[in-house]
Amino acid sequence: MNLRYIFFAALLVVLGAGLFFLPEKTNTNEMAPEKLHAELFDQTRYVSTDEVAERIINQDPSLFLIDVRTADYYAEYSLPGAANIPLEDLLSPNWEDYLTQEYMDVVFFSNGDIYAEQAWMLANRMGYKNFYIMKGGLNCWFETIIKPVKPESTASNNEFDLYKFRNGASQYFTGGELILSEEIVAEAITVTRKKKKTVASGGC
Amino acid sequence: MGPLIPQGIISGEWNNVFALLIGVVFGFFLEGSGFSSSRKLAGVFYGYDFIVLKFFFTAAITAAVGMIYFGYVGWIDLDMIYVNQSYVSSLIIGGVIMGLGFIMGGFCPGTSVCGAAIGKIDAWVFTGGMFIGIFIFSEAFPLFEGLYNSDNLGSIKIYESLGISRAFFVFALILVALGMFYVTGIIQKKVKKVEY
Repeated sequence: MNLRYIFFAALLVVLGAGLFFLPEKTNTNEMAPEKLHAELFDQTRYVSTDEVAERIINQDPSLFLIDVRTADYYAEYSLPGAANIPLEDLLSPNWEDYLTQEYMDVVFFSNGDIYAEQAWMLANRMGYKNFYIMKGGLNCWFETIIKPVKPESTASNNEFDLYKFRNGASQYFTGGELILSEEIVAEAITVTRKKKKTVASGGC
Repeated sequence: MGPLIPQGIISGEWNNVFALLIGVVFGFFLEGSGFSSSRKLAGVFYGYDFIVLKFFFTAAITAAVGMIYFGYVGWIDLDMIYVNQSYVSSLIIGGVIMGLGFIMGGFCPGTSVCGAAIGKIDAWVFTGGMFIGIFIFSEAFPLFEGLYNSDNLGSIKIYESLGISRAFFVFALILVALGMFYVTGIIQKKVKKVEY
Protein backbone atom coordinates (compact mmCIF):
# COMPACT_ATOMS: atom_id res chain seq x y z
CA MET A 1 0.00 0.00 0.00
CA ASN A 2 1.10 3.48 -0.75
CA LEU A 3 2.99 5.03 2.14
CA ARG A 4 1.21 8.33 1.61
CA TYR A 5 -2.19 6.69 2.12
CA ILE A 6 -1.03 5.16 5.38
CA PHE A 7 0.29 8.49 6.57
CA PHE A 8 -2.93 10.38 5.84
CA ALA A 9 -5.08 7.62 7.29
CA ALA A 10 -3.02 7.68 10.48
CA LEU A 11 -3.23 11.46 10.58
CA LEU A 12 -7.02 11.36 10.36
CA VAL A 13 -7.24 8.76 13.09
CA VAL A 14 -4.99 10.82 15.36
CA LEU A 15 -6.95 14.00 14.66
CA GLY A 16 -10.20 12.14 15.21
CA ALA A 17 -8.96 10.76 18.51
CA GLY A 18 -7.92 14.27 19.45
CA LEU A 19 -11.58 15.31 19.29
CA PHE A 20 -12.19 13.40 22.50
CA PHE A 21 -9.90 15.78 24.32
CA LEU A 22 -11.38 18.98 22.93
CA PRO A 23 -13.68 20.63 25.42
CA GLU A 24 -17.14 21.38 24.11
CA LYS A 25 -16.83 24.99 23.21
CA THR A 26 -19.74 27.28 23.48
CA ASN A 27 -19.80 30.62 21.76
CA THR A 28 -17.82 32.90 24.03
CA ASN A 29 -17.60 35.79 21.63
CA GLU A 30 -18.07 39.12 23.29
CA MET A 31 -21.00 41.23 22.34
CA ALA A 32 -20.25 43.52 19.43
CA PRO A 33 -19.50 47.08 20.57
CA GLU A 34 -22.32 48.47 18.41
CA LYS A 35 -24.84 46.18 20.04
CA LEU A 36 -23.58 46.98 23.52
CA HIS A 37 -23.76 50.68 22.73
CA ALA A 38 -27.32 50.36 21.44
CA GLU A 39 -28.37 48.46 24.56
CA LEU A 40 -26.68 50.99 26.78
CA PHE A 41 -28.87 53.76 25.43
CA ASP A 42 -31.99 51.65 25.20
CA GLN A 43 -34.33 53.07 27.83
CA THR A 44 -36.75 50.17 27.73
CA ARG A 45 -34.88 48.36 30.48
CA TYR A 46 -35.98 50.99 33.00
CA VAL A 47 -39.19 51.07 34.95
CA SER A 48 -40.05 54.07 37.09
CA THR A 49 -40.61 53.94 40.83
CA ASP A 50 -44.20 55.03 40.19
CA GLU A 51 -44.79 52.06 37.93
CA VAL A 52 -43.30 49.69 40.49
CA ALA A 53 -45.43 51.24 43.25
CA GLU A 54 -48.56 50.94 41.16
CA ARG A 55 -47.88 47.31 40.35
CA ILE A 56 -47.17 46.47 44.00
CA ILE A 57 -50.39 48.16 45.08
CA ASN A 58 -52.35 46.34 42.39
CA GLN A 59 -50.71 43.11 43.52
CA ASP A 60 -49.59 42.38 39.99
CA PRO A 61 -48.63 38.68 40.00
CA SER A 62 -46.26 39.09 37.06
CA LEU A 63 -43.99 41.44 39.01
CA PHE A 64 -40.91 39.91 40.59
CA LEU A 65 -38.73 42.32 42.53
CA ILE A 66 -35.13 41.41 43.22
CA ASP A 67 -33.10 43.36 45.73
CA VAL A 68 -29.47 43.01 44.63
CA ARG A 69 -28.03 44.67 47.74
CA THR A 70 -26.40 42.71 50.54
CA ALA A 71 -28.46 40.73 53.02
CA ASP A 72 -27.80 43.33 55.74
CA TYR A 73 -29.31 46.12 53.71
CA TYR A 74 -32.15 43.87 52.75
CA ALA A 75 -32.91 43.09 56.36
CA GLU A 76 -32.98 46.80 57.13
CA TYR A 77 -35.39 47.84 54.43
CA SER A 78 -36.63 46.56 51.14
CA LEU A 79 -39.65 46.77 48.94
CA PRO A 80 -42.64 44.61 49.91
CA GLY A 81 -42.48 41.20 48.30
CA ALA A 82 -38.93 41.66 47.06
CA ALA A 83 -36.52 38.73 47.03
CA ASN A 84 -32.90 39.24 48.00
CA ILE A 85 -30.26 38.02 45.56
CA PRO A 86 -27.03 39.86 46.37
CA LEU A 87 -25.07 40.80 43.28
CA GLU A 88 -22.13 38.66 44.43
CA ASP A 89 -24.32 35.57 44.37
CA LEU A 90 -26.24 36.33 41.20
CA LEU A 91 -24.54 33.62 39.18
CA SER A 92 -24.83 30.99 41.91
CA PRO A 93 -26.87 28.00 40.71
CA ASN A 94 -29.23 28.45 43.67
CA TRP A 95 -30.97 31.29 41.92
CA GLU A 96 -31.07 29.83 38.47
CA ASP A 97 -34.68 28.71 38.76
CA TYR A 98 -35.71 32.22 39.76
CA LEU A 99 -33.90 33.82 36.86
CA THR A 100 -34.61 31.44 33.99
CA GLN A 101 -38.25 32.19 33.42
CA GLU A 102 -40.23 33.95 30.78
CA TYR A 103 -43.53 34.90 32.35
CA MET A 104 -42.56 37.37 35.05
CA ASP A 105 -41.13 40.83 34.75
CA VAL A 106 -38.06 40.76 36.95
CA VAL A 107 -37.14 44.17 38.32
CA PHE A 108 -33.71 44.67 39.83
CA PHE A 109 -33.15 47.43 42.31
CA SER A 110 -30.44 48.59 44.67
CA ASN A 111 -29.83 51.84 46.49
CA GLY A 112 -28.90 53.63 43.31
CA ASP A 113 -28.72 52.41 39.74
CA ILE A 114 -25.25 50.94 39.53
CA TYR A 115 -25.66 47.54 41.17
CA ALA A 116 -28.99 47.02 39.46
CA GLU A 117 -27.38 47.90 36.13
CA GLN A 118 -24.59 45.41 36.78
CA ALA A 119 -27.11 42.74 37.67
CA TRP A 120 -29.07 43.51 34.52
CA MET A 121 -25.93 43.30 32.42
CA LEU A 122 -25.03 39.91 33.91
CA ALA A 123 -28.55 38.60 33.44
CA ASN A 124 -28.50 39.84 29.87
CA ARG A 125 -25.21 38.13 29.19
CA MET A 126 -26.55 34.92 30.72
CA GLY A 127 -29.38 35.07 28.20
CA TYR A 128 -32.14 35.48 30.77
CA LYS A 129 -35.35 37.20 29.68
CA ASN A 130 -37.64 39.98 30.89
CA PHE A 131 -35.27 41.93 33.09
CA TYR A 132 -35.75 45.53 34.15
CA ILE A 133 -34.16 48.08 36.40
CA MET A 134 -36.03 50.30 38.81
CA LYS A 135 -34.70 53.66 37.70
CA GLY A 136 -33.07 55.58 40.54
CA GLY A 137 -33.25 52.67 42.95
CA LEU A 138 -34.38 52.96 46.55
CA ASN A 139 -33.05 56.52 46.84
CA CYS A 140 -35.46 57.57 44.15
CA TRP A 141 -38.14 55.44 45.79
CA PHE A 142 -37.83 57.47 48.96
CA GLU A 143 -37.83 60.77 47.14
CA THR A 144 -40.80 60.00 44.97
CA ILE A 145 -43.00 57.47 46.69
CA ILE A 146 -42.31 57.69 50.40
CA LYS A 147 -41.79 61.44 50.68
CA PRO A 148 -43.29 62.96 47.60
CA VAL A 149 -42.66 66.64 47.10
CA LYS A 150 -45.63 68.78 46.43
CA PRO A 151 -45.40 70.37 43.04
CA GLU A 152 -45.39 74.09 42.54
CA SER A 153 -48.80 75.67 42.31
CA THR A 154 -48.04 76.54 38.73
CA ALA A 155 -47.37 72.88 37.83
CA SER A 156 -49.50 71.01 35.34
CA ASN A 157 -52.49 68.88 36.23
CA ASN A 158 -50.52 65.78 35.40
CA GLU A 159 -47.99 66.60 38.06
CA PHE A 160 -50.75 67.12 40.59
CA ASP A 161 -52.28 63.80 39.63
CA LEU A 162 -48.89 62.15 40.03
CA TYR A 163 -48.48 63.83 43.42
CA LYS A 164 -51.89 62.56 44.48
CA PHE A 165 -50.96 59.05 43.42
CA ARG A 166 -47.63 59.26 45.23
CA ASN A 167 -49.32 60.53 48.35
CA GLY A 168 -51.67 57.59 48.24
CA ALA A 169 -48.82 55.21 47.57
CA SER A 170 -46.88 56.72 50.46
CA GLN A 171 -49.78 55.96 52.79
CA TYR A 172 -49.97 52.47 51.39
CA PHE A 173 -46.31 51.78 51.99
CA THR A 174 -45.76 53.65 55.24
CA GLY A 175 -49.18 53.40 56.82
CA GLY A 176 -48.86 57.12 57.41
CA GLU A 177 -51.61 59.54 58.13
CA LEU A 178 -53.85 60.78 55.49
CA ILE A 179 -52.81 64.22 54.43
CA LEU A 180 -55.89 66.03 53.37
CA SER A 181 -55.35 68.23 50.46
CA GLU A 182 -55.50 71.82 51.53
CA GLU A 183 -58.54 73.64 50.37
CA ILE A 184 -57.72 76.56 48.24
CA VAL A 185 -59.86 79.40 49.51
CA ALA A 186 -60.75 81.74 46.81
CA GLU A 187 -60.22 85.31 47.77
CA ALA A 188 -63.07 87.61 47.04
CA ILE A 189 -62.24 89.72 44.12
CA THR A 190 -62.88 93.31 44.76
CA VAL A 191 -63.54 95.32 41.76
CA THR A 192 -62.76 98.94 42.06
CA ARG A 193 -64.64 100.94 39.64
CA LYS A 194 -63.49 104.18 38.38
CA LYS A 195 -65.65 107.07 39.24
CA LYS A 196 -67.54 108.36 36.38
CA LYS A 197 -66.29 111.60 35.26
CA THR A 198 -68.84 114.33 35.23
CA VAL A 199 -70.16 114.62 31.83
CA ALA A 200 -70.05 118.02 30.37
CA SER A 201 -73.56 119.33 30.43
CA GLY A 202 -75.20 121.74 28.22
CA GLY A 203 -74.49 122.20 24.63
CA CYS A 204 -76.76 121.11 22.00
CA MET B 1 -21.91 33.04 0.22
CA GLY B 2 -21.80 32.77 3.97
CA PRO B 3 -20.45 34.17 6.13
CA LEU B 4 -19.50 37.22 4.09
CA ILE B 5 -22.90 38.18 2.70
CA PRO B 6 -25.15 37.44 5.72
CA GLN B 7 -22.69 39.39 7.87
CA GLY B 8 -22.89 42.36 5.51
CA ILE B 9 -19.17 42.30 4.74
CA ILE B 10 -19.89 42.24 1.02
CA SER B 11 -23.18 43.01 -0.65
CA GLY B 12 -25.75 40.44 -1.75
CA GLU B 13 -25.24 41.18 -5.45
CA TRP B 14 -22.07 39.11 -5.31
CA ASN B 15 -24.06 35.96 -4.60
CA ASN B 16 -24.36 34.91 -8.22
CA VAL B 17 -20.74 35.74 -8.93
CA PHE B 18 -19.57 33.50 -6.10
CA ALA B 19 -22.06 30.82 -7.12
CA LEU B 20 -20.57 30.86 -10.61
CA LEU B 21 -16.98 30.74 -9.34
CA ILE B 22 -17.68 27.93 -6.89
CA GLY B 23 -19.59 26.08 -9.60
CA VAL B 24 -16.67 26.38 -12.00
CA VAL B 25 -14.21 25.10 -9.40
CA PHE B 26 -16.54 22.27 -8.39
CA GLY B 27 -17.04 21.27 -12.03
CA PHE B 28 -13.31 21.47 -12.65
CA PHE B 29 -12.54 19.05 -9.85
CA LEU B 30 -15.39 16.71 -10.78
CA GLU B 31 -14.11 16.56 -14.33
CA GLY B 32 -10.52 16.30 -13.14
CA SER B 33 -11.41 13.31 -10.96
CA GLY B 34 -13.09 11.65 -13.93
CA PHE B 35 -16.58 11.88 -12.46
CA SER B 36 -18.05 13.04 -15.73
CA SER B 37 -17.90 9.43 -16.91
CA SER B 38 -20.96 7.43 -16.00
CA ARG B 39 -18.81 4.28 -15.89
CA LYS B 40 -16.88 5.71 -12.96
CA LEU B 41 -20.00 6.20 -10.87
CA ALA B 42 -21.53 2.91 -11.91
CA GLY B 43 -18.26 1.28 -10.87
CA VAL B 44 -19.21 1.70 -7.21
CA PHE B 45 -22.19 -0.58 -7.73
CA TYR B 46 -20.36 -3.16 -9.82
CA GLY B 47 -17.25 -3.13 -7.69
CA TYR B 48 -14.57 -2.18 -10.17
CA ASP B 49 -14.06 1.45 -9.14
CA PHE B 50 -14.62 2.96 -5.71
CA ILE B 51 -13.09 6.36 -6.34
CA VAL B 52 -16.46 8.13 -5.86
CA LEU B 53 -16.97 6.58 -2.47
CA LYS B 54 -13.41 7.38 -1.43
CA PHE B 55 -13.66 10.93 -2.75
CA PHE B 56 -16.86 11.82 -0.90
CA PHE B 57 -16.02 10.05 2.34
CA THR B 58 -12.60 11.68 2.42
CA ALA B 59 -14.29 15.04 1.90
CA ALA B 60 -16.80 14.30 4.67
CA ILE B 61 -14.33 13.19 7.33
CA THR B 62 -11.79 15.88 6.46
CA ALA B 63 -14.46 18.56 6.62
CA ALA B 64 -15.91 17.20 9.88
CA VAL B 65 -12.55 17.07 11.64
CA GLY B 66 -11.49 20.42 10.18
CA MET B 67 -14.66 22.21 11.17
CA ILE B 68 -14.53 20.98 14.76
CA TYR B 69 -10.91 22.08 15.14
CA PHE B 70 -11.66 25.41 13.43
CA GLY B 71 -14.56 25.87 15.82
CA TYR B 72 -12.27 25.09 18.74
CA VAL B 73 -9.66 27.69 17.80
CA GLY B 74 -12.41 30.19 17.05
CA TRP B 75 -12.02 30.59 13.30
CA ILE B 76 -15.56 29.50 12.66
CA ASP B 77 -18.75 29.70 14.71
CA LEU B 78 -20.30 26.25 14.41
CA ASP B 79 -23.62 27.50 15.77
CA MET B 80 -24.03 29.74 12.74
CA ILE B 81 -23.69 26.97 10.19
CA TYR B 82 -26.91 26.23 8.39
CA VAL B 83 -28.07 22.66 8.89
CA ASN B 84 -30.71 21.34 6.50
CA GLN B 85 -33.96 20.26 8.05
CA SER B 86 -34.61 16.53 8.05
CA TYR B 87 -37.94 15.45 6.58
CA VAL B 88 -37.62 11.75 7.27
CA SER B 89 -40.15 10.13 4.93
CA SER B 90 -39.40 12.38 1.96
CA LEU B 91 -35.68 11.82 2.62
CA ILE B 92 -36.11 8.05 2.40
CA ILE B 93 -38.28 8.16 -0.72
CA GLY B 94 -36.05 10.77 -2.35
CA GLY B 95 -33.01 8.67 -1.49
CA VAL B 96 -34.50 5.58 -3.16
CA ILE B 97 -35.40 7.55 -6.31
CA MET B 98 -31.99 9.18 -6.43
CA GLY B 99 -30.25 5.83 -5.92
CA LEU B 100 -32.26 4.24 -8.73
CA GLY B 101 -31.47 7.16 -11.03
CA PHE B 102 -27.84 6.91 -10.01
CA ILE B 103 -27.42 3.26 -10.97
CA MET B 104 -29.62 3.50 -14.07
CA GLY B 105 -28.00 6.62 -15.50
CA GLY B 106 -24.56 6.49 -13.96
CA PHE B 107 -24.72 10.14 -12.99
CA CYS B 108 -25.63 12.27 -10.07
CA PRO B 109 -27.03 15.71 -10.89
CA GLY B 110 -23.69 17.47 -10.61
CA THR B 111 -21.70 14.99 -12.66
CA SER B 112 -24.42 14.83 -15.32
CA VAL B 113 -24.06 18.58 -15.90
CA CYS B 114 -20.29 18.06 -15.98
CA GLY B 115 -20.67 15.28 -18.53
CA ALA B 116 -23.13 17.35 -20.58
CA ALA B 117 -20.62 20.17 -20.66
CA ILE B 118 -17.96 17.98 -22.27
CA GLY B 119 -20.48 16.66 -24.77
CA LYS B 120 -21.33 13.18 -23.52
CA ILE B 121 -24.62 12.11 -25.10
CA ASP B 122 -25.73 9.96 -22.16
CA ALA B 123 -25.18 12.96 -19.91
CA TRP B 124 -27.36 15.08 -22.19
CA VAL B 125 -30.14 12.52 -22.00
CA PHE B 126 -29.74 12.30 -18.23
CA THR B 127 -29.80 16.09 -17.81
CA GLY B 128 -32.85 16.35 -20.07
CA GLY B 129 -34.61 13.72 -18.00
CA MET B 130 -33.68 15.56 -14.85
CA PHE B 131 -35.28 18.76 -16.11
CA ILE B 132 -38.40 16.90 -17.23
CA GLY B 133 -38.57 15.40 -13.73
CA ILE B 134 -38.17 18.83 -12.16
CA PHE B 135 -40.94 20.16 -14.38
CA ILE B 136 -43.34 17.34 -13.51
CA PHE B 137 -42.57 17.64 -9.81
CA SER B 138 -43.11 21.40 -9.85
CA GLU B 139 -46.38 21.17 -11.76
CA ALA B 140 -47.70 18.35 -9.58
CA PHE B 141 -46.35 19.85 -6.36
CA PRO B 142 -49.79 20.11 -4.66
CA LEU B 143 -50.01 16.32 -4.98
CA PHE B 144 -46.67 15.81 -3.26
CA GLU B 145 -46.86 18.68 -0.82
CA GLY B 146 -48.10 16.59 2.12
CA LEU B 147 -45.28 14.09 1.71
CA TYR B 148 -42.75 16.82 0.96
CA ASN B 149 -43.39 18.55 4.28
CA SER B 150 -44.04 15.51 6.45
CA ASP B 151 -42.09 14.23 9.44
CA ASN B 152 -39.87 17.23 9.91
CA LEU B 153 -37.33 16.62 12.65
CA GLY B 154 -35.85 20.10 12.33
CA SER B 155 -32.17 20.89 11.95
CA ILE B 156 -31.15 17.75 13.73
CA LYS B 157 -27.60 16.43 13.77
CA ILE B 158 -27.00 12.74 13.50
CA TYR B 159 -25.01 12.41 16.72
CA GLU B 160 -27.75 14.29 18.58
CA SER B 161 -30.46 11.98 17.31
CA LEU B 162 -28.34 8.95 18.22
CA GLY B 163 -27.60 10.43 21.62
CA ILE B 164 -23.84 9.98 21.37
CA SER B 165 -21.09 12.54 21.69
CA ARG B 166 -19.85 14.43 18.66
CA ALA B 167 -16.26 13.30 19.15
CA PHE B 168 -17.29 9.66 19.34
CA PHE B 169 -19.42 9.92 16.21
CA VAL B 170 -16.74 11.62 14.13
CA PHE B 171 -14.06 9.21 15.34
CA ALA B 172 -16.28 6.24 14.52
CA LEU B 173 -17.03 7.75 11.11
CA ILE B 174 -13.31 8.06 10.41
CA LEU B 175 -12.67 4.46 11.40
CA VAL B 176 -15.61 3.25 9.31
CA ALA B 177 -14.46 5.32 6.33
CA LEU B 178 -10.87 4.10 6.55
CA GLY B 179 -12.07 0.54 6.97
CA MET B 180 -14.28 0.96 3.94
CA PHE B 181 -11.38 2.33 1.89
CA TYR B 182 -9.33 -0.71 2.80
CA VAL B 183 -12.07 -3.24 2.09
CA THR B 184 -13.08 -1.61 -1.20
CA GLY B 185 -9.41 -1.69 -2.20
CA ILE B 186 -9.42 -5.46 -1.75
CA ILE B 187 -12.70 -5.84 -3.65
CA GLN B 188 -11.36 -3.72 -6.48
CA LYS B 189 -8.39 -6.00 -6.83
CA LYS B 190 -10.57 -9.10 -7.04
CA VAL B 191 -13.08 -7.70 -9.52
CA LYS B 192 -12.14 -7.77 -13.19
CA LYS B 193 -10.76 -4.47 -14.37
CA VAL B 194 -12.95 -2.44 -16.69
CA GLU B 195 -11.20 -0.25 -19.20
CA TYR B 196 -12.89 3.04 -19.99
